[in-house]
Amino acid sequence: MNTASAGAECTIDELMVVTLARQFDNSTRAFNGAVSFIPVCAYLLARKTHAPELVWAASSIAVDADPACLGESTLSDSIWDGAVMLSNSPFDFWAWAQGMRYNTFAFRGAQIDRYGNVNNTVIGSYDNPKVRLPGGGGMADLGCMIPDIYLWSTTHDPRIFVDQLDFRSGIGWGDGADHRESLGLPGGPKLCVTNLCVMDFHPESKAMRLKSLHPGVTLETVQESTGFTILLPEGDIPSTDPATSEELRILREEVDPTSMRLREFP
Amino acid sequence: MTTRQSPRLADGKVKAMKKVMDIERSATLVPDGSTLALGGLSMNSSPMAFVRELIRQGKKNLTLVAIVNGMAVDWLVAAGCVSKVISGLISFEGMGLAPNFRHAIESGTVSLEEYSEYLLIARLRAAATNLPFIPTKAGLGTDVIGLHPETTRLETDPVTGEAYVACTPLAVDVAVVHAHAADVLGNVRVDPKLLWMDNEIVNAAAKTIVTVERIVPHDSFVAEPHRTTWPRFITDAVVETPWGAYPSSCFPLYGHDKAFFAAYSKAARSPESFQAFWNERLAGPGTHDAFLQANGGAQMVNRIRRPAT
Repeated sequence: MNTASAGAECTIDELMVVTLARQFDNSTRAFNGAVSFIPVCAYLLARKTHAPELVWAASSIAVDADPACLGESTLSDSIWDGAVMLSNSPFDFWAWAQGMRYNTFAFRGAQIDRYGNVNNTVIGSYDNPKVRLPGGGGMADLGCMIPDIYLWSTTHDPRIFVDQLDFRSGIGWGDGADHRESLGLPGGPKLCVTNLCVMDFHPESKAMRLKSLHPGVTLETVQESTGFTILLPEGDIPSTDPATSEELRILREEVDPTSMRLREFP
Repeated sequence: MTTRQSPRLADGKVKAMKKVMDIERSATLVPDGSTLALGGLSMNSSPMAFVRELIRQGKKNLTLVAIVNGMAVDWLVAAGCVSKVISGLISFEGMGLAPNFRHAIESGTVSLEEYSEYLLIARLRAAATNLPFIPTKAGLGTDVIGLHPETTRLETDPVTGEAYVACTPLAVDVAVVHAHAADVLGNVRVDPKLLWMDNEIVNAAAKTIVTVERIVPHDSFVAEPHRTTWPRFITDAVVETPWGAYPSSCFPLYGHDKAFFAAYSKAARSPESFQAFWNERLAGPGTHDAFLQANGGAQMVNRIRRPAT
């Protein structure tokens, strides 16, 4: 667990969840993959606060699930309770993804570059890898299909935020600027939330840009923890908006009372 | 439920019992060198009892098609049954990397033909529907497309000028899936059928083997035909194997055994401890029942069984 604290009342994991949850609204139609506790908490928190009509398909299967607590896998039936539908057809799922009936997906990676592209395939060369990672799974697919992409990382350091990916498993803004659009792909990454800060993407170059620093985190720390030159916002760098006590209460008591989200922290 | 005797059973024209077989015989339908597709997704609903039988029979040079998997592939790789894995993702999710798979790929003893999830589905659908390719935008702009240009090639639509990926057929020799129930004719009910891609591998496969929690009366299929997942002409073998997905899950009957996953990962930290685990809890036990006993028996069953819904 990262020991950096976001203040007396709120820990970093909570701040990450709350920050992500505030990006979503009643038009958000989301689903999740493996080891996705932070976004799962954020979808549920948004639905239980300002976005009651938000759609979340737990494990990409259980539509409108409302589990009393989260289990140790975000891809298993431990989080399907209360669902109105257990989706049974991959044909439907991929049509809903490609038809943008699902419009929101969050992913992270073993490496993330300045354009929000991610690597979850290999560290080192592909043919002679230093570490053979699990593989991209649906990343390469969903990165091309879903317009509202969110990135998160619980360990913001130069090994993860790299200048050059060893392998591009999933596309964010591609080579930057209009590259993604030129491939005929919709939308692109909106935001990247880490344990240190929040970053968005420059509207033209599509390079990652600091948006706010979490309480107690300095610009120097973020720069030292990022393997590429991070763009800065104009003027003063704001502090990440704090969580409200009501958001924290709902997250702690109703969304994730067993703190499964901490499994994402080393 | 109807009590009418099915004419298919009564007139004896359908050789019902031929499809029902024990697990030893069913595994002989997978010759060495086969391309074998495994059902389930990640920790859900993999045909683990069948996989263990393949190991017991010492299969060699299998090419595995496993879209999103972990434990089944790791077992077969550890046992030396595999020469190649065709996959989109192999891991134990938050419990870490699949240790034997990882080591085999890093050391080059097993080759990996890697795609994304949807590119693999598209390749299986091309095979299932007898088409030269299925087009998709999945994978555009990623390094996944460059890995296998012979099977997932970048094309431009001559009419619209749009880029797409043409996914060529991936033919499968044998698909093996786990289901809840079948009758003696080979009609199968997955109850409930869930999102994973078992239909995709079954439709692309020349042969399909189904392990089931139980064999039920044929009349129950006639009474509720809308609940049938695969009709008998799709299936080639039915094997009654209660708890046959263990240690993966079979929703809603039982969850995956996280204690098994944890113990397996821990044992894999050294060759000695893995060998001991392998002998005691995995390859050593003879029957499937003995395997369940070696992993906690009734106590384990009580731990993973889901409350009746």
